[in-house]
Amino acid sequence: MLLIFKRLWQVNWAEQWQYRANLLMYLFYWLVSPIIYLAVWSSIATANGNVGGLTANDFTTYYMTLLICDQVTSNIVVHTFGSKVQDGTLSGELIKPIHPMLTNGLASNVAFKALTMMGLAPIWVILFFLFRPDFSQVTAFNVLLAIPAMLLAFLIGYLLSAALTSLAFWTTHIYSIHEFYFALILLFSGQFVPLSLMPPVIQTVAQYLPFQLMMYYPIQLILGKLSTAQILQGYLMTGVWLAISMVLFNWVWRAGLKRYSAVGA
Amino acid sequence: MHALKLLSAFLKVNLQMSLAYRADTIVNILLNLMWLGWEILSLNIIFSNTQTLGGWGFGELIALLGVFRFVNMMMFALIWPNTEKFNQSIRDGSMDYTILQPVNSMFLVTFSRMVIWRVWELALAVVLIIVGVRLSGETTTPLQILTFGLLVLSGMVIIYSLWIVLIALTFWFTKFDNNVTILHALVDAGRYPATVYPAWLQVIVTFIIPIAVATTVPLQALRGELGLERMTLFFAAGIVSFFIASQVWKTGLKRYSGASS
Repeated sequence: MLLIFKRLWQVNWAEQWQYRANLLMYLFYWLVSPIIYLAVWSSIATANGNVGGLTANDFTTYYMTLLICDQVTSNIVVHTFGSKVQDGTLSGELIKPIHPMLTNGLASNVAFKALTMMGLAPIWVILFFLFRPDFSQVTAFNVLLAIPAMLLAFLIGYLLSAALTSLAFWTTHIYSIHEFYFALILLFSGQFVPLSLMPPVIQTVAQYLPFQLMMYYPIQLILGKLSTAQILQGYLMTGVWLAISMVLFNWVWRAGLKRYSAVGA
Repeated sequence: MHALKLLSAFLKVNLQMSLAYRADTIVNILLNLMWLGWEILSLNIIFSNTQTLGGWGFGELIALLGVFRFVNMMMFALIWPNTEKFNQSIRDGSMDYTILQPVNSMFLVTFSRMVIWRVWELALAVVLIIVGVRLSGETTTPLQILTFGLLVLSGMVIIYSLWIVLIALTFWFTKFDNNVTILHALVDAGRYPATVYPAWLQVIVTFIIPIAVATTVPLQALRGELGLERMTLFFAAGIVSFFIASQVWKTGLKRYSGASS
């Protein structure tokens, strides 16, 4: 099994490396909105002294950490997998005795991330010197605690996106469904603004949804804003959602495969 | 008018194409409404925490959202689909047929694809601008409205010209497929007044990818913040950039030699 992953990694790495210019453009495209939010919110905090107890530096550190968290926990399943169902190239992968989504799909997502991380690192350093955030509250212990949380959150997000993308077995509107899903993430993850500034209703709902586990929770964890109880609660939620997303994905995947009769067959 | 006839023919063809995918059109409009809801909610969240954003009030940001939607519509209804078609035509050589036609090639490249349903965003943008200006309680003179309209127009011409230059670069560098991503990426910066951005970002959105010239600047004129000198400067910039773009396009076209030869 390890050998399989090693080979898949080599193939996917080489494939993504081919598109490195595209990746850099994607990275650039993806960077813009967090930077805009950072500018907007830190300017409000500077003008008013603070916003709901958050200072300009709180916003700067929040979005600077978000840039990394989002990169770790997000995925590109809909782009790598949606078209395979629609044009029938999935058939070739189904013949292989390994699960296409849990091996090849995962490897291609991780390869993509490894490359974008390499691109993000220098840009992050430049942004660091432009915005000069004060990270003195961050401890190595908190960062170490946040790493498994982010990796698990990536798995949750990956499985949920995979389940959602598997709807391609039934419908051609897969990209529209994902657009709606992205709106949910924007609303409940803390991507637009730290969740504590969202309307109370949204905050309450967000607590029970998996999206804050991908951004708000690890960011707050890294920035040292959570109590021990809150950290444990976050890990508990992560465990629960990992189980839910596994069951959900398995169910949709199995039902979808029964419906699948490749294009052209 | 020859150009108008062509334009209406393009409209008809594109309308027919979109009618073939009715369900998609309806879903797209619903998603568009969803994003409008999100935009208004996000402005509400911002203004529940502050009175002004970079000196602008809630109403002014709604108006800015309207202007932003104009530019955004141009991006998604014209620039994006035509870029795809253009890049394709450079790769496979179908650009030959565009050049062979007895019409200005820049015109053909600009208008041959249109995402028709996006037109409704025009009406939406106008509504947002009117509501926003009302909400802000500012009095506007007809002259201010006229300069506002002209500045929006010239701002869009500047962005359009930048687009022409970017895709014309493909004549020199054939593999330059990402030509428009940089423009596309920064469009979102037009949602907020450029005055809230740090200096380096203001320089980028004013001089390099001048999205703020099409969004923030016209509203500054409507607020009476813009002197006559700067207004003339921005109008002139619109005319000059269009002239430069069409020159770059002509020069680039001479380098085109088809895909097979």
